[in-house]
Amino acid sequence: MKTIKKSLVLPALTAMLLFSGCAAQGENAAEGKTPGSAEAAGISGALSFYTSQPEEDATKLTAAFNAKYPDVQVNIFRSGTEEVTAKIQAEQQAGKTQADVLLLADAVTFESLKQQDLLQAYQSPEAEKFPAELKDSEGMYTGTKVMATVLAVNTQKVTVPPTSWNVLSSAESKNASIMPSPLYSGAAAYNIGVFSRTGGYGWEFLQTVKDNGIAVIKGNGAAMKAVASGEKSYGMIVDYLVAREKAKGSPVELYYPEEGVPIITEPIGIMKEAQNTDASKAFVDFVLSEEGQKLSAEIGYTPIREGIAAPVGLKSISEMKILSADLDQLTADRETDKQQFIKVFGE
Amino acid sequence: MPFSAIKQRFGKKQIVTWLGAIIVLLLFVLPVLKLVLLSFRGEQGLVLTNYSELMQQSRFWNTLRSTAIIVGGSTVLSLFLGTAAAWLIAYTDIPRKRMLHIAILLCFILPSYVLTLSWSSFMGTQGIVAKLLGWLSPGLMPWSMYSMGGIIFVMGIHHFPLVYMFTLEVFRKIPRDLEWASRAGGAGKLETFWRITLPLALPGLTAGGLLVFLASLDNFGIPAFLGTPVNISVLSTLIYEEIIGFGPSAFARGASLSVLLGLAAIMGSLLQWLLLRKSHASDTIQPDYSPRYTLGKSRKWVSALLWAFLLLVTVVPLFSMVSMSLKKAYGLGLTASNMTFNNYRYILFENPRVWQAIQNSLVLSGITMLVCLLIGSCFAYIRVRKPSRLNRLAELATAVPYTLPGIVFALSMILVWMEPIPGWNPGIYGTMAILFIAYICRFMILQIRSGVTAFMQVDISMEEAARISGAGPWQRWRSVLLPLTLPGILTGGLLVFLTALTELTVSALLYSSGSQTIGVTIFSFEQAGETLYSTALSSLIVVLIAAGGALVLLVQKWATRKGVRP
Repeated sequence: MKTIKKSLVLPALTAMLLFSGCAAQGENAAEGKTPGSAEAAGISGALSFYTSQPEEDATKLTAAFNAKYPDVQVNIFRSGTEEVTAKIQAEQQAGKTQADVLLLADAVTFESLKQQDLLQAYQSPEAEKFPAELKDSEGMYTGTKVMATVLAVNTQKVTVPPTSWNVLSSAESKNASIMPSPLYSGAAAYNIGVFSRTGGYGWEFLQTVKDNGIAVIKGNGAAMKAVASGEKSYGMIVDYLVAREKAKGSPVELYYPEEGVPIITEPIGIMKEAQNTDASKAFVDFVLSEEGQKLSAEIGYTPIREGIAAPVGLKSISEMKILSADLDQLTADRETDKQQFIKVFGE
Repeated sequence: MPFSAIKQRFGKKQIVTWLGAIIVLLLFVLPVLKLVLLSFRGEQGLVLTNYSELMQQSRFWNTLRSTAIIVGGSTVLSLFLGTAAAWLIAYTDIPRKRMLHIAILLCFILPSYVLTLSWSSFMGTQGIVAKLLGWLSPGLMPWSMYSMGGIIFVMGIHHFPLVYMFTLEVFRKIPRDLEWASRAGGAGKLETFWRITLPLALPGLTAGGLLVFLASLDNFGIPAFLGTPVNISVLSTLIYEEIIGFGPSAFARGASLSVLLGLAAIMGSLLQWLLLRKSHASDTIQPDYSPRYTLGKSRKWVSALLWAFLLLVTVVPLFSMVSMSLKKAYGLGLTASNMTFNNYRYILFENPRVWQAIQNSLVLSGITMLVCLLIGSCFAYIRVRKPSRLNRLAELATAVPYTLPGIVFALSMILVWMEPIPGWNPGIYGTMAILFIAYICRFMILQIRSGVTAFMQVDISMEEAARISGAGPWQRWRSVLLPLTLPGILTGGLLVFLTALTELTVSALLYSSGSQTIGVTIFSFEQAGETLYSTALSSLIVVLIAAGGALVLLVQKWATRKGVRP
């Protein structure tokens, strides 16, 4: 009887020990346990980081942060911007949000959080190197990079380079185009807001695109996958993903349509009720610092900070023609836009 | 339940009993009540506006339609496959039945999202099938798994073992003398099947069909992986999208959808229960294990066909998934130069979140198993030795969270634990604690059922004999009860462990930063288009499950060696 019990419990225990052992190793490897610098002294504890960045990029960012601040344990919650926002609202209703720092798709999302009085002001010294139009005047949030939504094509399927967004409503992309869902992706929600308010487009354009058989998938990453694999020929996707996939060897190419491109800035901000304010501020400083911005560029993003070049294959902000709309209006109408999208696209 | 009756029966134990009743109510019944209430809540008291708003959305009707088609279609497919497999195993002399039995169960043991990933990589544009078709004629494309048909197909093969397990026993209990009598009376093989075998098997078949119906309603993984990318929603994924996409503002809408889904599930369970009650008579018949039909010459090819089918639905797609996880980039073909272990290196060493998820899942399922083992087994013992109306009701109550579709249960957990008592926030939502509570409530019934079955097999006279010989309660447990019931109880515990380990639906709605589980991590990778990582992690999970499955088999082997029927 006793031996039996042992023989059952032991494998289970060893398994658990093995896993936790490996886990510890993995974490150490990821953090690269270097002794922190002087400024890291006294900054420690858990930091809850809610983001919509791709898994890999968020992991790289936190690993680099940990190299500098080894005593902070960063817990990442990753999902689409709209889902992260919904999660924050639900946690808020349950008493208190778990998040300390947010890094989400667009300024509109942060504007509405600011209006709900969920953010705290922090004028990071690093933010001085950022242009005023890409950060909040009260220091509630600061843009971290520039990201344009472009036309991605599969080069095996498409030979004629598209020059205009209208390709999405014309015959060559019939049932062969894809876009991320504004119910999940903050970039997509922003794009819908801009397109539906841009002269010559509006909901009519979106309706024709829908009638042309565009597929709506959850996030930009999933849309990218569909174009890379040739399941779809055209996609409305954020630029850095396309450039990165192309660099990996996938048969894809990106085009900036002549009418202009909507851009988002992936701002970063600190929650009003952040439990670990010191670590939060250190984290924001790190992301905005020269080191953090260089890392961004290495990962493949177009940085904002002066003096850091855009990665190969991407335009920098001065080279782009930008489509935009009034921030306050976009913020006020975000939910209505999403509901309208459900109506038009019958999701 | 009249108070006096309790007093008579329990005397001093009254307080304990009432406490137990209150805990059961709080944990298992209140969540559902809260959910129903919320679905009727409006600006001015109880109203139907939430429902009427739903009825006006074309999206809602589309979802209902696709739910009906998917659930109906996959139920029919599972019934067909399950009955055919059960008939072959129960009645024919097909070789290697034990191995076949395990191979059939494999489809069900694999979590639905692993099965889905393996099929989508197998049939995808980058998969094996596309290559073969491309050889035959360029431009030929495999049928897309991201469609109604694909969802029905994967659900059908995932659930057919349920029908198989159910009908196997039913088939074995049909007396062969009836069949002989019919044959002697001049009826042919087919006529005998239609007039004797099928009518007798019908209650079991219908009950099995209802079980699959419930499982399909409950399933979230398959439609979430295959339907969401192409705008096919079923009720469970629609609820998820509403809650996750719109947050608290969608709670009332989600609650109304949940009530509809819950109603469908409860109707199904009731029907099933009624049917099983009716077919109670066959319980006295000993199952008959000897073959009734010799396959003769066709034995070889029937056996080969069945093996080929089983390999094709599980093993081949699994290989496809593993090969996908070895690719450098998603759009590339699989050649030696494009192969890499990078994806595995990334999830194992470069992403601490994956390890955290594996740890979380192990800790969650381990503790859930221990708690269920202790409480569930104690309750099962009381339920068997001192049956009363109260503990029968309690057993029914504990079955509620498991009967409800996972997504409905998860939403009701959010609603209850956000504010269990008006004005009091325990701050449980968004932490591991809510997952523990949810898992324990949802899987408790599995342990109770296994425990009840185990204790039923020990006759009370054994215990009495021990007592007469002067053994105290501790001694009685140690030397009589535990040795006899442990295999059954442990099998139940392992079932809880394995189910919890790969759980997706409940955790998808309840997880937060730091409390992600294995299922959620795979799901997030896939949603973000990181198929190379999701397939790599899934491949690792298959290895974990295989280890767990081997453990279950060991326990059962040991049990049969000890002469206890599992």
